[in-house]
Amino acid sequence: MKEDIGLQPITITLDGREVSGYPGMTILELAKESGIDIPTLCHDPQLTSVGACRVCLVEDERNSALLASCVAPIASGMVINTHSPRVIERRKTIVKLMLTSHPDSCLVCDKGNRCQLRQIASDLGIGLVELQRIPQMASIEEVNPFLERDLSKCILCAKCIRACQELVVEGAIDYFQRGFTTIPATLNNLPLESSECTFCGTCVALCPTGALMEKDRIYGGTTKSTTETTCPFCGCGCSICLEVKDNQVVRVIPGKEDPVNHSVLCVRGSYGCDFVNSPDRLLKPLVKGNGNFEELSWGKALELVGTQFQRIKDEYGGDSLALLGSSKCTNEANYLLQRFARCVLGTNNIDNDGRLYNSASRIGLGSSLGFSGTTNYLSDLEQSELILVIGADPSSSAPAVGYAIKRAVKQRGVKLLLIDPRQTRLSLFAHLWLRPEVGTDVALINGLAKVIIDEGLLDEEFVARRTDNFEAFDESLKKYTLEYVEKTTGVTGQEIRTAARLYAKASRAAIVYGTGITQHTTGTDGVGALANLALLTGNIGRKGGGVYALQRKNNGQGACDMGTLPKFLPGYQSVTDAQARGRFEERWGVSLPAEPGLTALEIMEQVKKGKIKGMYIVGENPILSFPNSRLITEILTSLDFLVVQEMFLTETAKLANVVLPAASFAEKEGTFTNFEGRVNRVRKAIKPIGESLPDWEIVVRLAGKMDYPLPFSSLQDVMSEIEELVPSYEAYTDSERQDELAYGETGRTYGRQLLKGFARFSPIEYTPQAGERKSDYPFTLLTGTTLYHFGTGSRSFRSLRLKKFSPEAFVEICESDARKLAITDGEKVKVISAVGEVTTMVKITDTLREGMLFMPVSFPETPVNELFDIILNPETKAPSLKACSVKLEKISLP
Amino acid sequence: MNKAKTITKADLARINAIVSEYSQQKWAMIPLLQKIQSEFGYIPPQSTPFIARSLGLFPSQVQGVISFYTQLYTQPRGRKIVRVCRGTACHVRGGKTILKLVKQHLGLEEGETTPDFEYTLETVACIGVCALAPNIVFADHVHGHMNPKKVEQLFRNREGRE
Repeated sequence: MKEDIGLQPITITLDGREVSGYPGMTILELAKESGIDIPTLCHDPQLTSVGACRVCLVEDERNSALLASCVAPIASGMVINTHSPRVIERRKTIVKLMLTSHPDSCLVCDKGNRCQLRQIASDLGIGLVELQRIPQMASIEEVNPFLERDLSKCILCAKCIRACQELVVEGAIDYFQRGFTTIPATLNNLPLESSECTFCGTCVALCPTGALMEKDRIYGGTTKSTTETTCPFCGCGCSICLEVKDNQVVRVIPGKEDPVNHSVLCVRGSYGCDFVNSPDRLLKPLVKGNGNFEELSWGKALELVGTQFQRIKDEYGGDSLALLGSSKCTNEANYLLQRFARCVLGTNNIDNDGRLYNSASRIGLGSSLGFSGTTNYLSDLEQSELILVIGADPSSSAPAVGYAIKRAVKQRGVKLLLIDPRQTRLSLFAHLWLRPEVGTDVALINGLAKVIIDEGLLDEEFVARRTDNFEAFDESLKKYTLEYVEKTTGVTGQEIRTAARLYAKASRAAIVYGTGITQHTTGTDGVGALANLALLTGNIGRKGGGVYALQRKNNGQGACDMGTLPKFLPGYQSVTDAQARGRFEERWGVSLPAEPGLTALEIMEQVKKGKIKGMYIVGENPILSFPNSRLITEILTSLDFLVVQEMFLTETAKLANVVLPAASFAEKEGTFTNFEGRVNRVRKAIKPIGESLPDWEIVVRLAGKMDYPLPFSSLQDVMSEIEELVPSYEAYTDSERQDELAYGETGRTYGRQLLKGFARFSPIEYTPQAGERKSDYPFTLLTGTTLYHFGTGSRSFRSLRLKKFSPEAFVEICESDARKLAITDGEKVKVISAVGEVTTMVKITDTLREGMLFMPVSFPETPVNELFDIILNPETKAPSLKACSVKLEKISLP
Repeated sequence: MNKAKTITKADLARINAIVSEYSQQKWAMIPLLQKIQSEFGYIPPQSTPFIARSLGLFPSQVQGVISFYTQLYTQPRGRKIVRVCRGTACHVRGGKTILKLVKQHLGLEEGETTPDFEYTLETVACIGVCALAPNIVFADHVHGHMNPKKVEQLFRNREGRE
């Protein structure tokens, strides 16, 4: 690869052999390439080399110089010995010096055989230290449940410091003081929980000794096997390794050389996967009789489900049944589920919870770009000149994206333009931060577009050659003068102008957005307006540009790709398109329903009207994720027959007639598609807990019970059918392809032509948010993800450490509002909206402006969704779950 | 804490003004820290986040630099710094006794500051005028050939002037 740049190779003698490298290469790198092993402690290929530990020293025979090979670049004519007696002797001394201050606690140290210091000492044959011991005294003082620091074992390699600064870009720790007293410390040497630390676990994974260790483990001891798989939480799709012993997931470490996360996870991935071994796991199928659940065998349970579904279908027709797939389940399970719905039950009434998070992206981007997802890879952000982040707090909702943005800003000098009414972790990194009023994004984006056109900053060639409908779009912007936008959004005209210039003048500008755009009632408008902005500046089909639509859940993209949607067969082939339907009918040997089915909330409406009698919910918890949980509970209770397939007895599962125990991600094979469209492997690390089964197997067995055996005897069969029938998944199981671009790719637009020849501008009007009643409900409540929990909390609240660290929900309020209401920090209050109320704890913050409140989702005890009325986006039928009007009430003491 | 040494809003504004002179110039961290210290006598820890933000660094990094250099302080210090030399020449000429006497006079241990923020006592390894040993540097003035009498005089004089 480097030969292309035309650099002259440099030849050196390495351990008596002539080898060649390229300028800038270090001795260590060349040695590694030549198969020579040099021990290291402070070196990591992902981090800047600092030459702190000196263990990697080698000697140059010409001048007897001892060089730290990790930082010494190769030079022509070098004669390097990596293992000469002198080198070994010096190396031994260095390690012995480290051992003089290292405690002899190896026998009880949990790092055990994973300790690199001990490994190197034993490789060098160091038996006795022979030097006077200078113990470092340090107490273990951390009270957080995730990690503990025993600085008596610290060798000051600074891997943790560099990881925090360079990979996580949080900078929570750095060296403190000097000489013998040096330690890695947080600002003011406070405990980690009082610092910027996000407990991502990167430092723990990199620490060569037992100085940084995982805390509160569910299981001690050394692991026997490691399985590389994909994280089951957010849409980033980070590669993780599960370390397993005795059918328990003992530890999670970052996967190596992953293009998405660069070996950096977040607190959920690192410490949240212990839900797998939670005692709450369902072990057997449950059937409700007389209001109580009883255990039943799989055979009998599926028999019952099959008979009931068949009865309802025969009596009222297939469309009296409905299914909810899950953006948590694998592609294969979702594929089978939609096939089950369409072939066995004969209905298109199938949707997945992606409806709540990403349907606006699918339709908004789909109609303008002809491509309904993130257009570029995450790693391309580094090549951007500017990143516009709007309506997203990736540091909480998609941490790997947050890291990538921060890395781009800190290390590549990329400018960050942040549009968010709330202060987030990214605010500190922003070049310019606009704080519009909640729900006025469309007006602001249109305002930016108008400035760009008025000042002639648009990419005229791109607009002329690659887009159509520009005139109508231009016309529609007339109204969005700076004065109008300033009045609507509260952002000053000057700031709007500056932001527009920043975005338009950057030669490569990326847009990253999340649920702050999509979960408003006007979600599709927001997405469409952003697409217009990207088209106007030619940032589509360009590396370093593009639009990044963050996905909430691990397989939000995949569930939709697989056709767990009422209007689309797999691969977004419309059910109304006779030709497309014909292909599937031929392959599946059945005739398929041609009428589009109902979306998730329309299903609920029809249940309420009594039209839908039976439901099959897989891996979804609508009571906590859909708006107006009280109404949803009522609706689900009114069903004739409800089957819930889950790992835990969730709020929704409690209402079911039959609960089928599903295996967790660690117990099955399959694939998840991340927000970029990368298909990542999920691999089985442990045997299913109890009698739980992988989702795909349950669906196949159920189909068998309903006299429609699906022709799959193994998961491989399912994958083969997907490869055959789903466009852009043609060779997706071929994950061994090492070519970076082909890494499980599903077809992105950058670097190629736009998928459709033309992209289309869609004129978009700003409509104020529905449901405003200012005087009665004076506050605007925003909801969002918290870093320490996920989804509806059904998994993260069964992760002991996450629960311990963040046990309770809260409502954030700014100081002046709190003073006006005479509310103090930590006080319990009622948050009341027109449809519901929740009680929670007050947290006074400086991240909000007056009149705003923030509450995190994912707390089962404080269901924020209860405050939302069901207001659907007219196009996507997705409910608004981002902002609503509320009031706060003190709880008066009796 | 002494009231005179609590950081006020005005102080922070002044620090911000100093900091903004060096905005986004990483190389300027040390001169910037020195400038703050010369004005306030120390670098208030509260200013670390501002300094970091302005230079494009993490607060922990700025703290790392401050804590590395012995010339930089994060605690308020006395208006007059008393540095007793503990270099070899001074030691041979009785520097140890001089230090003991100074400690007695000021009621301070090494590194400590009097509650009225008048004096801070420090020791130095060598100030380079060994010919005058034993030495004390008192408020940036070298006092050579120190003996118990001169120590007493030095502090009596100073006290008299206050």
